[in-house]
Amino acid sequence: MLIEYQSQRVSLWYFRLALVLFILQVIMGLWLSINYAFTLPQDLVNVFPFSTAREIHTNVLVAWMLLGFMGGTYYILPPECGRDLYSPKIAYAQLVIFVAAAVTAVIGFLFGWTRGKPLLEIPFPLNGLIVVAALLFIANVAMTIIQSKQKSALQWMLLGGVTFLAVMYLFGMPFYKNLNTDYYYWWWVIHLWVEGAWEVVTASIVAYIIMRVTGVDRKVVEKWLYVETGLFLFTGIVGTGHHYYWIGAPDYWIWWGGIFSALEPLPIVLMVVDTWMHVRERRNPIVNPLTWYYIIGLAIYHLVGAGLWGFMHTLPPINYYTHGSQITVSHGHLAFFGAYALLNLTIFYFAMPRLKGINKYQDRLGKWGFWITTIGMFVLGLVFGIAGILQTYLERFLDIGYSTAHLTMMFWFRVAFGVGLVFLAGVVITVYHLFTIKPSSIPAPEPVVTPASNI
Amino acid sequence: MTGKTARLIFWVGTLTSAAIFLWQTYDFHMQTPRLTHTDKLTEQVVAGKKVWHKYNCNDCHTILGFGGYYAPDMTKAFYRLGENNIASIVQHPDVMYKNSFRKMPQLGVSETETRQLVSFLRWVGDIENRHWPPQDEKFVQAYRLRESQPEKLDKVHLVLQACGGCHTFENQGRNVGGDLTTIANRIPYDRQTLINYMINPQSVRPGVAMPPQDVSPQTAAIIADFILSLKSTKEVNK
Repeated sequence: MLIEYQSQRVSLWYFRLALVLFILQVIMGLWLSINYAFTLPQDLVNVFPFSTAREIHTNVLVAWMLLGFMGGTYYILPPECGRDLYSPKIAYAQLVIFVAAAVTAVIGFLFGWTRGKPLLEIPFPLNGLIVVAALLFIANVAMTIIQSKQKSALQWMLLGGVTFLAVMYLFGMPFYKNLNTDYYYWWWVIHLWVEGAWEVVTASIVAYIIMRVTGVDRKVVEKWLYVETGLFLFTGIVGTGHHYYWIGAPDYWIWWGGIFSALEPLPIVLMVVDTWMHVRERRNPIVNPLTWYYIIGLAIYHLVGAGLWGFMHTLPPINYYTHGSQITVSHGHLAFFGAYALLNLTIFYFAMPRLKGINKYQDRLGKWGFWITTIGMFVLGLVFGIAGILQTYLERFLDIGYSTAHLTMMFWFRVAFGVGLVFLAGVVITVYHLFTIKPSSIPAPEPVVTPASNI
Repeated sequence: MTGKTARLIFWVGTLTSAAIFLWQTYDFHMQTPRLTHTDKLTEQVVAGKKVWHKYNCNDCHTILGFGGYYAPDMTKAFYRLGENNIASIVQHPDVMYKNSFRKMPQLGVSETETRQLVSFLRWVGDIENRHWPPQDEKFVQAYRLRESQPEKLDKVHLVLQACGGCHTFENQGRNVGGDLTTIANRIPYDRQTLINYMINPQSVRPGVAMPPQDVSPQTAAIIADFILSLKSTKEVNK
C-alpha cells in the first residue's frame, strides 16, 4: 500500500541515474578547484582545459536536476490524478533518449564538440533529442492529467511549470549574431528556469509532499501554492532584469531589475513560513525524521543561498563590483544546492523508500550524509565568498591587475578543494544510503488521518 | 484568505509581470541598434563570434560578465590588450604564459580566425554597457586619448595603457613580459633601437616572444624615453 500505482515505479530509474550524475558533477567540481589551486602543466591544459571540465560540471548539474524533476513528477502524478500514468513506455523511452543525449554530449565535450555557449553547450543535433524527450514528457504528463477524473490545482501547476520550463529552453537554441541579444535570451533560459519555472515545479512538488506526510488539508496547501507561485512569477519575471545591468540594455533595467529582484526573497520567506506552519499543525505523526530534515533544510537553505545571497549580490551598486566574480560562484553553489539539489534529495527520500515498500527506514547513515553535505556546502559557499570579496577588492577597488588578484585564489581554492573532498564524502554517503535503504526495526507510528487525497 | 483570492493573486501577479517584461523586451530590441552599434556588426564580427564559440572561450573567460571566472573578462579586452597582443596570446598561449601560474590551452586558432576574433572583440568593446567592468575603464579611456592626442598624456598613464597588457610597472599591469623597471636596467639599447624594438621586436632581437606593437614612432619615442628614464633613476640611487 506504500505506492498506490504500479506506473509510479518508472521514477526509480530517473532517481538512480540522477544520483550517479550527482557524484560525477561533484568530482568534476573538485577537478575545477585543482585548476585554480595549482599550476597545471601546459600539456595537460591542452588536452583537458578548464573550459571542458566546467561544461561537464554544469551540464551534468542541469541533467540530474531535470532527471529529478521528471522522476518526481512521474512519482506524484498517479496518486494525484487517481490513475496510472498515460504511458510508462513513453516514460522509459523518454528517459533513454534524454540519457543518451546527455552521455553523448559529455563525451563530445571531451573532443571539443560544443556550441561554446555557457551552460547551453549541447550541440544542435543533441538539442533536437532533448526537445523530443521534453515533448514526450509533457505529452505524457498532460495526457495523464486530461484523462484523470480527479482535477486539482496542483496538477495544473505542475503541468504549467514543466511546460514553461521546456518552452524557455527553446530561446537558448538559435545562433544570435548580436552578443547582447544572445545574452538577453540566454537569461530567458537560465534565469526564467531557476527563478521561474523551476520554482513553480519546486513549490508544487513540496506542496504535494507536505500534504502527504502531514495530512494537512488540501485546500490550505493549494491556497499557499497559488500565492507563492504567484509571487515567484511576479518578482521573478521582471527580476530577470538584474542580469541586464551591464550588457548594453536600456538604463531603466537598473530600476526594474533592482526593485523586482530585491522582492524575490519574499515568496521564499513565505515558503519557509508555510512549511513551518504545516509542520506545527500536522495531523499525522512524523514517521521518518530524515525526510523532515530535508524538507526544513530545503526551505531554510533556499532562503539563505538563493534569497539572501541573491538579494545582496543583485543590488545594482553592489553588482557593479561583484558581477562576474567568485561571488557569483558562491551564490551559484549555495542557491543551486540549497534550492534544487535539496529539493531533489527531498523527493528521493520521500519516494525511494516507498518504491521499495519501506515505510520507516533506517536513517543513521543518511543523517551523516545530510549534515556533511549541508554544512560542507555552506562552508564552501563562504570560502568562495571570501575569495570573491578579495578578488573584487584587489582587482576592482585597488585596481592592481587580474593576475595579482588571482594569485590569492590559489590559497582559497586549496581550502575549497579540502572542503570539497568532505562534501564529496557526504554525497557518497547519501547516495549509498539511498541505494541501499533498509527498513527500520523501530515500529512506525500509526497515521491519524488518511493522507489527503483529492476526493 | 479564500481560495478565490489566492487564485486571483496568482493570475494578477504572473500576468502583470509578464506584460511588463514583454513590453521591455520589445523596447530592448528597439534600442539595441543604438546601444550595440549594429551598423558596425559586420560579417567579419559575426565570424569572430563563431570563433569565440568554436573554441569555447566563454567557459574560462567571462564576457559582459557571464561565463567562466577562470580567466580575465573579455568585454573590453580589445582596449586592454590591443590587436597584436590578443593575436599573440591566442596563437601562442604557451609562450605568453610560460611563467604564469595559470595556463591557457593551445587551441590551434588559425590566422584568419584570429583576425575575426579580434574584430569581434573590438565590436564588443564598443557596446554601451555603462562602463563595466570597472577595472578596464581606464584602458578604454587611455586608448581613446592615445588615439587622439598622444603628446598630452601623462607618461606613466600612456606607458601603462600601451604596455600594461603584458608588462608591469609599480605593481600595475599584467606580468607576462616582465617588469618595466627590471627591463630598463637590463637592456643595453639606445633610444632609437628601443623604438625600433617596440615597432618590430624581431628586427632587434630575433626569436623574442614580444609581438610587433601597433604604435606610431611618435608614441614609441615617448615610451622609450620613459623606459630609459627608469634606468638612470636607479643608477643615480645606487
